[in-house]
Amino acid sequence: MKHYIKKISTYAMAGSMGALAMVAMSGCERKPAGESDAFTRASQKQGAFVVIDEVAPGRYRIAEEYPADTTRVILRKLDGTEKILSKEELDALVKEEAAKIDAGESPLTNPQLSGGGLSLGEAILASAAGAIIGSWIGSKLFNNPNYQRTRQRSYKSPSAYRRSVDSFSKAKRSPTSSTRRSTRSGFFGGGSRSGSRSTFGGFGG
Amino acid sequence: MVRLEKVAPLTPEFLERLGFHWHTDSDGTSYVADEIVVVSEAEAEAYYEAANTLYDMYVEAGEYVVEKNLFHDIGIPFNLVDAVKKSWENDVHWHIYGRFDLAGGIGGAPIKLLEFNADTPTALFETAIVQWALLKANGMDEAAQFNHVYEAIRDNFRRLIVLDGNPEDFGRYYEGWKILFSAIRGSIEDENTTRLLQKIADDAGFHTDFAFADEVEFSDEEGIFFNGERFEYWFKLIPWETIAIEESDLARILTNIMENRKAIILNPAYTLMFQSKGMMKILWDLFPNHPLLLETSFEPLERKQVQKPFFGREGGGVRILDARGRELVRGEEAYGEQPSIYQAYEPLPADEEGRRYQAGLFFAYEGCGLGYRRGGEILGNMSKFVGHRID
Repeated sequence: MKHYIKKISTYAMAGSMGALAMVAMSGCERKPAGESDAFTRASQKQGAFVVIDEVAPGRYRIAEEYPADTTRVILRKLDGTEKILSKEELDALVKEEAAKIDAGESPLTNPQLSGGGLSLGEAILASAAGAIIGSWIGSKLFNNPNYQRTRQRSYKSPSAYRRSVDSFSKAKRSPTSSTRRSTRSGFFGGGSRSGSRSTFGGFGG
Repeated sequence: MVRLEKVAPLTPEFLERLGFHWHTDSDGTSYVADEIVVVSEAEAEAYYEAANTLYDMYVEAGEYVVEKNLFHDIGIPFNLVDAVKKSWENDVHWHIYGRFDLAGGIGGAPIKLLEFNADTPTALFETAIVQWALLKANGMDEAAQFNHVYEAIRDNFRRLIVLDGNPEDFGRYYEGWKILFSAIRGSIEDENTTRLLQKIADDAGFHTDFAFADEVEFSDEEGIFFNGERFEYWFKLIPWETIAIEESDLARILTNIMENRKAIILNPAYTLMFQSKGMMKILWDLFPNHPLLLETSFEPLERKQVQKPFFGREGGGVRILDARGRELVRGEEAYGEQPSIYQAYEPLPADEEGRRYQAGLFFAYEGCGLGYRRGGEILGNMSKFVGHRID
């Protein structure tokens, strides 16, 4: 029998909206001027929202990842607590990781060092957030085949990786027809509806 | 008796950050209750099973209506019959989501179907996001809720591509087809419910865009366009019967677009059959005395009963009648001269203060989420949304 409670990661329950709710709830966001809500920002997807799980003490996996207006990383620790990493923390972790890459000591680029899971800095760099925050070290990473392999392995489940790839690589677009055509528009343009609540579709009696 | 638990409310500022602007009713009271309904695990399971059973019954009844050509009997506008038939023929016209409204289910009362909002259901934001955030903000276990609406709809968008296959294979088969989302300009609830659906489709991996209905361009031969781009899918949070009645040219063009296979329109036109309350009479004919159904007829019953217009919404035009057909209570607004059904009266579960609770159960491929509306005997536009948690 199918069961109603899906044991899925809690953010997946409400997807990128859940992630956004979490950030709004934490109260630690700065509201950029001129923006009003989740949907006005949705069009500017230059960042990533990443949820990283601690899977063993000091070992991490990427649980969820969504395009977002700005880059934010939530860490879910083994004891169940959650923490939003600040920009300073992220920068420090990425910088530390960059030094390891330069010294050839990072499992992200050095296959001999792989195994035993990722540190927090490595998990961040393996995520979409890492690609954005660490863009200045991008060239060292993105052409490295071991980094690409590690990136795949860093996700909590193959489906988390699949999801991530799906949301970030909408590169394929269907060809747009630009032939001459006669179209009609302006339906429901009367503007007779007003008010904030729905004019239909609500709970019926 | 409905069991309630007090919770700290979400602030209007927080809700607005999420795009949920309709948090306060016109009388200044909060639309989202600062209490939640406590549901047992067995009750949640029963809701889930009921949704799946009811949907299967609707599909059987839909087949019956199409075969016997009963469109007129259940009030389908003549200018949409072809669209309904066409969409029924092929699975690519995938039903994204709907919401069953139910009596009972808590406090020992059996679950009974009141109606199925299959075409343009709202209360999606409240159910999928707000009640989840309510648990989270109150430090409660957010997984203890019958609510995977977001995930279920996301997977159902993927089924537009994989159909009965595994939604996880979406990336393998997706070739960049785009979905345009539209609402009628002027209602922030309709607009942001539509934008929420767009976001879910976005998370699923689709290319999407949003346009108000009046900005969309339609062509019989070439399909649906916005900003010079052609869209393979158009999701409209506009009732099909509204299209049929208020913009009959659009109904004709959409039928031709379907015929020419230039676009797929969501929710599909056949959901108008499910949406018609006339279907509940068909269901009663096909499944007489089924435990999830209430006796329903096109003629007055000889018992306490509820008269509902075929396409009434928000409790409009609903009348509660006694066994002799005398009016006891009347809903907020009338729906003209629409034909009606007569459904056996079933009291909604009540709390200590006598307030009534109606369950709204979302369906997206399977039962996927529960929420409640609280109000008087007929739930109108002033009723409140009440979240839940599973004990």
